[in-house]
Amino acid sequence: MTEAAVLPDQWSVLEKRFKTLNKVMTTKAAIAQTPKETVWALNKAKLYHYIPVVPPESRHPIPLLLVFALMNRPTILDLRPGHSFIEYMVSRGFDVYLLDWGIPGLEDKDLKFDDYVLDYMTRAIRKVKRLSGSTEFSLLGWCIGAILTTIYASMRPDDGLRNLLLLTAPLDFSKPQQLTFARWTDEKHFDVDRVLATFGNMPGEMIDYGAKALKPIENYIANYLKLWDNLDNPLVVESWHAMNTWVTDIFPMAGGAYRQLIVDLYRNNRLMKGQLKIRGELVNLKRLRASLLTVIAEGDHITPPCQSEAILAKVASTDTEVFRVPGGHIGIMAGSGAQKLTWPHINQWLAARSR
Amino acid sequence: MAAENQNAKPADPFDALRGIRDSYIDAMSKVMMKAVNSEEYAQATGVMLNSALIASAPFREALDKAMAAALQHSSMPSRQEVAALAGRFTNVEMRLDDMEAKLDRIIELCMVARPVPVSAVPEPRAAAKAKVKRAAVAKASPRQNRGRKKG
Repeated sequence: MTEAAVLPDQWSVLEKRFKTLNKVMTTKAAIAQTPKETVWALNKAKLYHYIPVVPPESRHPIPLLLVFALMNRPTILDLRPGHSFIEYMVSRGFDVYLLDWGIPGLEDKDLKFDDYVLDYMTRAIRKVKRLSGSTEFSLLGWCIGAILTTIYASMRPDDGLRNLLLLTAPLDFSKPQQLTFARWTDEKHFDVDRVLATFGNMPGEMIDYGAKALKPIENYIANYLKLWDNLDNPLVVESWHAMNTWVTDIFPMAGGAYRQLIVDLYRNNRLMKGQLKIRGELVNLKRLRASLLTVIAEGDHITPPCQSEAILAKVASTDTEVFRVPGGHIGIMAGSGAQKLTWPHINQWLAARSR
Repeated sequence: MAAENQNAKPADPFDALRGIRDSYIDAMSKVMMKAVNSEEYAQATGVMLNSALIASAPFREALDKAMAAALQHSSMPSRQEVAALAGRFTNVEMRLDDMEAKLDRIIELCMVARPVPVSAVPEPRAAAKAKVKRAAVAKASPRQNRGRKKG
């Protein structure tokens, strides 16, 4: 082949790559596609029920409620068809509900953990029990969702909670030297009250910067190089596009809850010390009796493993398990290894306790 | 041999460069992670953030005042007023939710105290599920059910 024939061919390849790059960078992927219905709403929060796909006699009778963090969309749990934790659990016969906190507005700047746990979660759980006809239920909390579910499980141990699953749960802040966030938000450097007085809520851009700045080269450079290197591979492009759609969907965190996260947890470790007060009531982890599975990501830079381990020694649960997975904060549930490792283990653990 | 040669991926002259690039990225990543995890970085970002907030405060206050005056002049509600209204809506929603829960409880208690014909009340999901389960059991073991009916 002559050089003149190869050159246009190379140009067309390059043109195709730029077209793919443009599409991936400027459009949103279709995520959260598992069929669902909205069964309850309060303020910005919504409760979704996923349409069962297995016959009633094959379903687990104990419903599962998923609670995600406050500052990101819960769509990461239902990323894309064939790569969705929710789709996986529904296909395994679980009656799955998801509590979506929604995007807080200025009017929500005073919302605290107190409100999320005692006003929103209790009501959503009441609805789950009513709709499922079950007096018992399972809770899965991820990241800050794990803080909320732990507080709930400790404050309402008689509400019918049978199983509690905590994913990358930031609960123990006793080793601040191992936590980059703790260093950044130390009161010597970070004036949380000034930030919240200025913005009301904690801006999504600042939260996003904080999460990305923990690994700046990976997030700001290597991530895009990975895409560039794989622009000819539709599988990688599709996966990257879906993840980028989720990552770039940023929104603020309610100011009251953010202040609690920084002051009560990061600076004073009040939950582990038994000093955290929710509407005047001390949160006593010793009251948590549900079966407990805590999933730890060994390569987690946002919630290092040391933050999730101490809970086991504090609770009254007799049925406890720690499951360690290689991977990062999000990767263990949404990465390529999730379907081989994390999801099957959660399914197996929960199925045995949902009879 | 010729076929093998045809199927083999052509050598990419950029592979070596890519390798060097990746090694450099790995090394830089370690350096940067160490840097952002330092006390100096925390202090520097804290100073920058505080300075930006302090410097912008007078402008923000002036803008807020001007906006509030403009909205008042145009008989429009301010952001704070809309936020207060939204808070009141949420309170109403909570009360409705509580009332719904109380009604559910009352219906449950009424049904326990005085069973009404199934056709008279909408079937709750739990009852529907149980009905489906009973039907499935009956289908699976007709002999056992016949015995029950007789008994």
